[in-house]
Amino acid sequence: MNKEKGSVLRIEDLHKSFGDNHVLRGVSLEIKRGETKILIGPSGTGKSTLLTCINMLTPPDSGKIWLLNDEITASRKVNLLRQKIGFVFQDFSLFNHLTALGNVSIGLTKVKGMDRKKAREKAMEELKQVGLGDKASSYPAQLSGGQKQRVAIARALAMDPQLILFDEPTSALDPELIGEVLTVMKKLANQGMTMLVVSHEMGFARSVADEVIFMEGGIIVEQGPPAQLFSNPRVERTGEFLSRLSSLFGEEDEK
Amino acid sequence: MLGLGLGLAVAIPISFLQIFAPQPFRLLASAYERVLRSIPLLVTLFLLFYGLPSFGIRLAPFTAAVIGVGLRSSAYQSQIFRGAILSISENQFRAALAMGMNKIKAFRHIVMPQALRLAIPPWTNELTIVLKDTSMAFALGVVELVRQGRYIIVATREPLLIYLTIAAIYLILTLLSNNTLGRLEKRLRIPGIGVEERAR
Repeated sequence: MNKEKGSVLRIEDLHKSFGDNHVLRGVSLEIKRGETKILIGPSGTGKSTLLTCINMLTPPDSGKIWLLNDEITASRKVNLLRQKIGFVFQDFSLFNHLTALGNVSIGLTKVKGMDRKKAREKAMEELKQVGLGDKASSYPAQLSGGQKQRVAIARALAMDPQLILFDEPTSALDPELIGEVLTVMKKLANQGMTMLVVSHEMGFARSVADEVIFMEGGIIVEQGPPAQLFSNPRVERTGEFLSRLSSLFGEEDEK
Repeated sequence: MLGLGLGLAVAIPISFLQIFAPQPFRLLASAYERVLRSIPLLVTLFLLFYGLPSFGIRLAPFTAAVIGVGLRSSAYQSQIFRGAILSISENQFRAALAMGMNKIKAFRHIVMPQALRLAIPPWTNELTIVLKDTSMAFALGVVELVRQGRYIIVATREPLLIYLTIAAIYLILTLLSNNTLGRLEKRLRIPGIGVEERAR
């Protein structure tokens, strides 16, 4: 993939309130091409809000967001920019009336205007990429949670995004189904996809993240490479949160 | 039939108003739907036929009947569509926006195909009701099925036979239309919401 180290996403001093609830209190962040960053933090901290601000599903109150050279927050062509940002939802949000193949190809035909035959071919490739070539004609209701989430990932990939945002992609899954989704995500990371992932899968973070970002109370408390953050956090709160995570999930070899 | 068509034509905008429009329009649409659902059809018909002439609007019996049946049906149908649209999870709509669809496309390609499928069974029910309500037009002197039957009864003196025949005709019409829509429903069925990708 592209080796240049330009920044794909840049966020500057982002604020967002819902009524009295000041959810994001000045978040700044940058992701370079090919990087995978993992966002962790207690619930209600603004992680999901941050993701939906990035593709303007939740318009921020103030602050700026750039995708490559386009300022998303100032753009009138939000729909165009959204095509370049994949989004994978916690609850999959597949289109229930379309087959797996239909889910992956509809963006190509209805958004990108690709002709149907080409779109189906490309969609099929993406499904194979996530290991679901044989499920192309299944409807969401006929798929397991892990398969649904992989279809959702294929749907995001089909649009050839510059960046994919994952909002707790495995937290709605039964434990035995989490692995298949993480495997696909690891593969993407290794292929050089740029990703921002909200997730508490620490094993995953350790193996693929270039950086782990700890958020709490609407700000970034600490960020750094997983090895450093996990073994030697600079901020006390980070350590507390991580050790609580580990004890909750029975993390393997945390020393 | 005309009444049902008119009902459909009015119902869709009403349901849209109730869901998507800014507050004042939403209230207006809700008020329309409440009022029409609360007045007996016979009263609506009389108001249209005997009441409107006071404002100088004189409707032919048939026209008044079509409008009356249509307006009332529109109120019920708007509820059918509103329910069907709202039952499609908003997350699917968000997912469509997230891939770059505008709101109209997201509605057309994602919400509507699912909502329409969900609306078929209740809509079939409404069709049955409207079909039978056409007999109310009798009261305005429209020559519909029942009045036609009365004419025949006067000539033949066979009320039981003729009314049974009328009942049979309604029965057949109802079964026929239900059957047709039932088959449509089955043909469009997808697993999960009872559908499969539409034959394009």
